[in-house]
Order: sequence, then structure tokens, then C-alpha cells
Amino acid sequence: MKNRYSFRRTATVLIALALALSACATNNTANNTSNNAAANTGSGAAAAGDTKETAADDTAAAQGGELSYALATSPDSLDPHRSGLAVAVRVIRTIYDSLVVQLPDNSIKPWLATSWTVSEDGKSYTFKLREDVKFHDGTPFNAEAVKYNFDRILDSATKAANAAALLAPYQSSEVIDEYTVKLNLATPSRAFLGNLSQALLGIVSPTAAKKDGDQFGQHPVGTGPYKFVSWQENAEIKVARNESYAWAPEIVKNTGAPYLDGIAFKIVPEEATRIGSVQSGQVLAGETVPPQNIVALKSDPNFQLLSANTVGLPYTLFFNLERAPWNDAKARQAVKYAVDVDAIVKTLYLGTYDRAWSPLTPGTFGYDATLENSVKPDIEKANALLDELGWTKGADGIREKDGKKLTLQYVDATPNREKRNDIAVIIQQQLKAIGIAVNVEITKDVRTVVFTNGAYDLYGNSQVNSDPNALYAFYHTYDPKGRASLSRLSDPAIDKLLEQGLVEPDDTKRAEIYKEIQHYIVDQAIVLPIYVFPYTVAAAKSVEGIVFDSLGYPLFNDATVKP
Amino acid sequence: MARLLAGRVLSSALVILGSLVLVFAILYVLPGDPTDTILDPAVATPEMVANLRAQLGVDQPFHIQFIRYFEKMIQGDFGQSLVTSEPVLDKIVEHFPATIALTVASSLVSVTVGLVLGVLSAVHRNRLIDIVARIIGLFGISMPTFWSGILLIVLFSLQLGWFPAMGSNGWRTLVLPAITLGIVGAGFIVRMVRSSMLDIIDEQFIVTLRSKGLTERAIMYRHALRNALIPAVTMIGMIVGEMLAGTVVIETVFSRQGIGRIISDALMAKDLPVVQGVIFFSAIVYVAVNLLVDLSYSVIDPRVRRST
Amino acid sequence: MREAITAKAVWRERGRRQLASLRFRRIAAADALLVLAGAVVLLIIACAIVPGWIAPYAPTEMLTDNILKPPSTDHLFGTDYFGRDIFSVVVHGSRDSLFIGFASVLIGGLAGGIIGAVSGYVGGIADTILMRCNDILMTIPGILLALAIAGALGPGMFNIVLAVAVASIPGYARVMRAQIISIKSRTFIAASSSMGASPMHIFWRHVLPNALSPLLVMATIGIGTSILTGSGLSFLGLGLLREVPDWGTLLSQGRGYLTVAWWMCTFPGLAITLFVLAVNIIGDRLRDDMDPKKRRVRG
Repeated sequence: MKNRYSFRRTATVLIALALALSACATNNTANNTSNNAAANTGSGAAAAGDTKETAADDTAAAQGGELSYALATSPDSLDPHRSGLAVAVRVIRTIYDSLVVQLPDNSIKPWLATSWTVSEDGKSYTFKLREDVKFHDGTPFNAEAVKYNFDRILDSATKAANAAALLAPYQSSEVIDEYTVKLNLATPSRAFLGNLSQALLGIVSPTAAKKDGDQFGQHPVGTGPYKFVSWQENAEIKVARNESYAWAPEIVKNTGAPYLDGIAFKIVPEEATRIGSVQSGQVLAGETVPPQNIVALKSDPNFQLLSANTVGLPYTLFFNLERAPWNDAKARQAVKYAVDVDAIVKTLYLGTYDRAWSPLTPGTFGYDATLENSVKPDIEKANALLDELGWTKGADGIREKDGKKLTLQYVDATPNREKRNDIAVIIQQQLKAIGIAVNVEITKDVRTVVFTNGAYDLYGNSQVNSDPNALYAFYHTYDPKGRASLSRLSDPAIDKLLEQGLVEPDDTKRAEIYKEIQHYIVDQAIVLPIYVFPYTVAAAKSVEGIVFDSLGYPLFNDATVKP
Repeated sequence: MARLLAGRVLSSALVILGSLVLVFAILYVLPGDPTDTILDPAVATPEMVANLRAQLGVDQPFHIQFIRYFEKMIQGDFGQSLVTSEPVLDKIVEHFPATIALTVASSLVSVTVGLVLGVLSAVHRNRLIDIVARIIGLFGISMPTFWSGILLIVLFSLQLGWFPAMGSNGWRTLVLPAITLGIVGAGFIVRMVRSSMLDIIDEQFIVTLRSKGLTERAIMYRHALRNALIPAVTMIGMIVGEMLAGTVVIETVFSRQGIGRIISDALMAKDLPVVQGVIFFSAIVYVAVNLLVDLSYSVIDPRVRRST
Repeated sequence: MREAITAKAVWRERGRRQLASLRFRRIAAADALLVLAGAVVLLIIACAIVPGWIAPYAPTEMLTDNILKPPSTDHLFGTDYFGRDIFSVVVHGSRDSLFIGFASVLIGGLAGGIIGAVSGYVGGIADTILMRCNDILMTIPGILLALAIAGALGPGMFNIVLAVAVASIPGYARVMRAQIISIKSRTFIAASSSMGASPMHIFWRHVLPNALSPLLVMATIGIGTSILTGSGLSFLGLGLLREVPDWGTLLSQGRGYLTVAWWMCTFPGLAITLFVLAVNIIGDRLRDDMDPKKRRVRG
């Protein structure tokens, strides 16, 4: 074992040396293009967190070095088509590129595809591909490779996970010529291009994927800015600069090979250790900073805090609309007025997370900012609503009607991610004040309890997504033979809007559709939006140029480490 | 002796087989299956779940799953992780060395600290030193290890910077976890060494030695201690079991590689082949250590040698 | 070591004339420790029985304007991130923690004791089968067994108790069996057997009463071990989540705050440690006192 690692280390050093020697030439050209890219992106760089962009331009001084980056959990697989974990995406994004990139203003720009056309009926997409791209193993990137990738996701032998859901309604690919590929969809989808930009639909090397089969996730090969070097499970994943990289998307400035020699992702599950090791200099950066440390880090002149709000659905508590008495809008509104979301965000997250107001996060296409500050806690109103429904307070302070107590089954998953279990504890106390007995059930088996049995009145979930069509799966009437949606909402008017939103070609009209949906959901108190999760990174001052993509995942193309 | 050994090995094999069946049964009744880990329940459709379940073979009834697994196992194929498809044997080969290193280092801490404190405590029976030594020993047994581990990290790594807070490469990463885990075992050894030394001190042969004019020091260290070593060695056999269990928590706290971490993850994910493989190997280690301990009695204590 | 030797020399120097007074002082010190341990245990049991008399605040009261405040005269142990008074939460949390400790020892000790007693007294095939089963349980580390059971049943009070109890069965069974076998071989058993007493009568009258004491000692110490195993489950994310958190949950929740609010995990941690320590001291002393050889030593 030891020999293998030291051999690898030597190899890395040799590669690094070779890279350093050839660095100057590539970087001059890279710099020119990157300036152009920056001009185009504009808002992208601004939204990418307060990073010292200007300093990153000074590449000659910053070239080289290894960035150690502490992850909070262990990735399951580095095969983008098989992974289902956000933590894996942070690493996957460094190894693989996608056909297109989504900028923070939600526009779609070229990446591995240079241009594309959509057919009249919205059911086929023709992509022109870059001709200068090679996978890390030397395999050329072409139309055949794209076809292989998407067919691979459909193939059940791949055991594709979330990638399969993202790829829907993809049906087949046609290779038009070496660098032109046509993707056919079963139904039109406005979400499709955005989904293609996600890392889980990243392009893998057909040669390597065929060779390694099931084991591909341990030996990932892509076209990305970094090449996979080694993976010590539960300890460390190393990637090294891809020297021939010259096809970065315009969300980053540096279109050429990254400045860093490599990145060592360390897996450090204990929060106190992860952040403490940044502060004690054992690693240069660490992700997912707990709120209590964010506050301390912000006031520490020796460290910086990078942060990007994730996009899609915020952390939202869903009522199960099929269970009485919560199928009554008045009962749900009583809960809405009794729950003090500001107090939750202020105590648990110390104000470091933004409060969510809508079923969509700010930054998602069609987000309705007018919903902000539309709800204020109002205990009297909450009590009045419950009185109106005939629930009267019993001797123990809990309301009753027809001999039945007013209870609310609150289900949440273990482990206590982002202090979500603690939200349950607070809401339990807040609802006690208006006479609702909250029974908190913490379960490991969410699929059975929530999705199969539907044994919940309130259950929280969030989803990182590039398109407002994410709402479809949560609020559209569900197929009685299929999986129930979390809200179990069934309203023909909303169904129609969701269906229109999926296909509406005009952006302004499309945004209006989603605004209407958001209003309806908030007014009817179908959910309680709680917080928008910020992806946070604590880093030493010497680390510069880490930016975040539109979904909040870090990109290391521009990153540098000052020696 | 050889027959005894053969008998022990045979019954050990039966025990290991039994533990495999038991673990298989426990995992079978655990709710959920590996698809929960692989697929985000908010995204996956029922068909996706069903397809994946069929792919992984977890839709089969208990006995078929077990027979399939067992057939492969006796051919030396421990299967693949259901979650990552990585061969289980590779996983074990990758993770066992770090756990073994931690177990050995912790045992060293246990035995050293346990012997020193135990002897001090017995020699100064019922005096202040005895009480202090015993309380120190008991502290090790009384603290939740995840708490003492984090305290050590904060003090010796984050504040003083003497040792790394994470990783499993090199001896420096071993120090803090070995102390955390070792002081637990030390507590048991202190108790054992103290009581067996006290027993021996009052035995007839020591009284005889004393009457022959041997100094107390000589009696204590040459005779009493030597005899007290036997129960201490017995404890090692038990402690190894405790330590393998302790790694489940310690390896997470110290961000180390090791089987404790993969088995708790695999258990939660119902990744059956991984759990089975790890249980199989750790059961072998546990059984082997205890066998060695039994055999080592005869080396330390001549009386046992004669009787076997 | 050097310290030990000089201390030894001092002891010899004092000579046997002083032995009586010395022994008095020594025993007094040991007894003081026992009294202290007993006081800690009684105090904590009192907390569990009548927490409302001791705690100044309700354990669920969230003072949202007073979160993460360090210890002060208002809040002896400070406040946590909900704004709860940690002292009050620790006092109230003792109930669940002690319940886990006592209930799982009761179940585990009873089950293990019965298995061990049957195995040791009946012997033969029953013994072989039961002990092999016991060995099987022993090869699987206790915390993993507890983890699997807690995972299978879901996190509830009874499930945690059961998980911790099952993990402790093999230990009790082994001790009980060894004890029964050693008593069976003593002469007085053979004597009453030859006088025509039935095996059941002998078992209940003579064997069991004599075999119980080591089991009781083990159970005393086991209360502490169970609380620790329970807190380990909290750490691994399979603990309880009730309105009033137990110590293990508190400690586990507070550990992320160690560098910014040290008091959050320090006090629940100390509560666990002190209680387990006290229980161990009492258990050790019981063991010494029940051992006839030691009784002679103590004089």
C-alpha cells in the first residue's frame, strides 16, 4: 500500500514539474481569453462570492501549489451517472465537464458544445461540439462519446441514480457527424438544457467507462480541468491539473489549465475538527461551515469565508394534504401564523442562513420577490383560525374536537443535517403555544415512512435544481400508480400551470406562470418555506479564486494558493 | 495440545459462521435497502427503485440472498459493495491496516498505563496514590470516547499543534486516537492488575518470601507483578474486542480510514456484502487474538503449561 | 516508578507499630471516596425523580434572546443554541439517561443471567448451544449490534434500551455461567444433593443466591456502560430526540460548539462522566467487599 502511494506521490511531483515547465506559454493565451470571458459573465463573477478576482489574474506569481480542501462527508462514487450525493458533485465537477453551462443569471452558455439548435416541436436538440477536446486518457471527445454517455445513463446495468431523473425525457441520440449530435426527447422540456449543465450529466470517457465497468466510479476519467490521481476511501481524494485543458466555460476566467498543481480533498466529518483544522493551518480550506463558526470566522482577519446560496427549492416543510385536519387550508394557515421562521433562522443559524419566503429560492428562474416579508407571525390570528374550525383548548392546553386531540406528526430524517432536527424541536414548542401537540418522529427510513406510507403531516425537504420545473415533482397531481408527491396536492389549475411552465417558450410568460404557482402555494399554506442553504467555505487568506457555479458548487479553475 | 488447538479452531469457525448468519438476519430485517443511499428518494421514481433493487439482488427472499452470498464466499469471493460496486476484499485490504495499527497502538497505551497505574495502586494499597491511580483509571472508562477524543483534538492539535487532527498516514496521526481509545482499556487493566496483585501479596508463598527477609520491593516487582501479568494478558483478549468496537466512533472523530467507519456506514446503508466481509474479518481477528492469549498463558505461567 | 519506590520505603520505615493507625486512615480515605460517589449518585437520582424542584427553568423554555450565553449567576451552566438553560436541561435530562442505564441493565442482566444460569446449571448440549450462541454475539462488537438494532427499530426510548441491553447480554451470561459452575462443584451442593433435595430446590435455595453477587456488581458497573453506549448511539445519529434531551443527545449536539461555546458540551459531558465514575467506584467497592479473599485482606 505504502509503496503505491509514494509511487503516486512521486508521479504527481514529476507531472507537476513538467507542468510548471510548460506553464508560461499556455498561460499567456489563457489569460487573454479569460479576460474576455470575464467581460461576458459580469453578474456571474459577482454572484460567485466575494473572491479577490483581480489577484487571481496575477497568474505568474500564483502558479502551482496544492490546495487542501476538507469535505464534510465521503463521496459515494466519482461516476457522475451513479452518484447521488452533493458532496461527490464537488469532486466530480473538477473531473468532468458538461455540454453546456448555466450562468447565475440562468442563461445557458457553451461548454463542450459550441452551439445548439432546438427543433420546432421542442423535442430534439442538435449540438455542435468542440473539436479540440480530449479525455484524460487520450480518448477524443466527439458525438459518439456524447451518445455513449446518455445511452449509458438509460442502460439499467449502469445503475444510474439521480442522473437518470435529470436526463428525462431523453430518448435517444443520433450521431450526425463526428462533432454533431442530435438528442431526441419524448416530450418537450424547458428544463432539459439546464439539467444538461449539471455535473451529474457530466461526460465520462467511453473508453474508461467500458473498461472499468462497475468500478469506473473508483477510476474516474473525464475531460475536466483536473485529472483523478488517487482515492483513499474516507480519507483523501487527490486530483491533479489537466495540463491540456483549454475549454473552460465562461463562468470562470481562466479558460486554460488550472493554476493549482492539484487539490487534495480531505474527508473530515466532525465539524469542530474540520473548521478547526482550517484555523490551525492543517488544511487551507474547509466546506460546510456551521453557523456558529461562520460568525467567528467573519470577524477573524486571518481567514475568509466564501459563500454561495444554493438554487432550486429551499428547505421547505411540506404538509401532507391527504391527512385531516391539515387538508383544510385554515388549519395550515394557523400553523403558518404560529411558526416564527425568523426566530428559527436567528437562533439555529445565527442569521447566517437567509430565510426562505417562496417554494423557490432567489436565483431560480421565475422566483417571485414580492412574496418576501408577506408573512408575519400572528398568534392571535392562528388561534382565531383554529377556534373557527371548532378546535377548543383542553385542560392540558392542547386543542380538541369531538374528543380528538389536535396533533401534528412531524417527520424528519437522521442524521441531523443542517440542524433540521432542531427545527422540529423549535416548531414543537411554537405550536404548543396555540394548542397543537407536535409529535416529532426522527427516522432513518424516509422512503418507507414518507414516500411509501405517507405517515406524516409535516416533512421537510430541499432540492438543488437549475430550473423552476423542479416544482412539478412536488406539486403536480401524482400518478396513483407511481410515487406520491411530497405535498400530495391535487389541483387541476396548478397542474395546468405546471404543464405550461414546462413547455412555454417565452421567458416572460414562463416567469409569470411560475409566479402564479408560487403565490398559490404560499397563500394556501401548502408548505412552510424555512431557509435557503448557503454553501460555505472557510479558507486561509492565501487561497484565492474559488468561485461557485449557478447551483452553488465550487469551481477551482481560477483558484490559486499563495506560497 | 495439537488436538486442543484443532478443536478450538473448529469451534471458532462455527462461531464465525454463526455470526455471519446472525448479521445477515439482522440486516435483512433492517428497514430500507441500499437504493435509499444510492437514489435520492425525492427524485427516484418507483420504477427506478425497483430496477435498481433487481440489479442489486436485494429483492430476493432471505434464504436466496444468503445462499448466493455464501456460495461465493466459500470460493473466496466476498462480493462487491452494493453502493459503490467496489470489491469488498479491496475495501478490507485498504482499511484493515489502519484499524490494526490503531488497535495495536491503543493496546500498547492500555497495557502501559494500566500496568503502571495498577502496580502503583496495589503497592500503595488504600493510600492517596492508590485512590488517585484508580480514579485516573476509572476516568478512562467513564468518559464517552467521542467527547474525550474531541477534547484531545482541540487541545493538542488545534491549540498546541502537536499532532494532526485527522488522517491515518504516519505515527503522528496515531497518537491522539490511540490515547483516546487506550485509556478505556487502561481502566480495565488497572482494576485487574490491582486486584490480582493484592490477591497474590496475601498468598502463602509471598508471606514465606517475606519471612525469608526479601525486601518488599523485590517481592512486589519480582514476584507479585509477574504473577499479576497473567490476568492482564487475559484482559488484552477482551480489550481487543472492545477496541474493534471503539473504532466505530474513534475513526469518525479523528477522520481516519478504517473498518469501524466503513462498517457503520455500510450498516446504515444496508450494504450487506461489506458488513458481512468486515464482520467476517474482524471476527477472525477477535477469535485469533483470544486463541493466542490462551496459548500465551502456558508461556507465562508454568502451572498452566503443566495442566494442558 | 521512582515515586512508588520511595513511597514504599517510607511505608517500611514506619514499621508495623504504626500499622493500626495507618490502616484506620487508609480506610477512612477509601470510605470518603465511597461516600462521595454515593452522594453523586443519590443527587443525580434525585434530579431524575424530582427535576422540577432543582431546575430553575423549564427544560423546554427557549429564551431566544439569550442564546449561547456563557455560565453566569442566572444560568449556572450557560445557555445552548435554543436559548435553553443548560443546567435545567441537564437536570431534567438525567431522567432519560438514567432510565436508559437502569432499564437496559435490568433487561440485559436478566436475559444474560437466565442464559448463563441455564447454561451453567443444566450443562451438556444446552450449555454448548447457548455458549456458542453467546460467542457469536461476542464476536460482533456491542456498539454495532446496538447500531443495527436501533437502526432496525427506529429511534425510540424503548428501542434504544433494547439495543443497549442486547449488546450487554453476552457479558452477563458468561459471568453467570462461570459462577454457577463453580458453585455447583462445591461440597455443600453435593451434600444437599445426596440428602435427596431436588435439583430445582438446590438451584433456588443454594446455587442462585450464591451466584448472584458478581452479577449484581457487574450490573452496577453496567449502568454506567449502558449510558455510555447510549451516548455513542447519539453520536452516530441514532439517539433519541425527545422534548427533553438526554445527556448523550445534549453532548452530541453540543460537540460542534466546543470552540465557540465550550459550556454546551462540557456540562452534559461532566454529568455523564461523574455519574459513570461514581457508579464504577461503588461497583469496585462492592466487588472487593463481596470477595471473601479481599475481605480477609482488608482486615
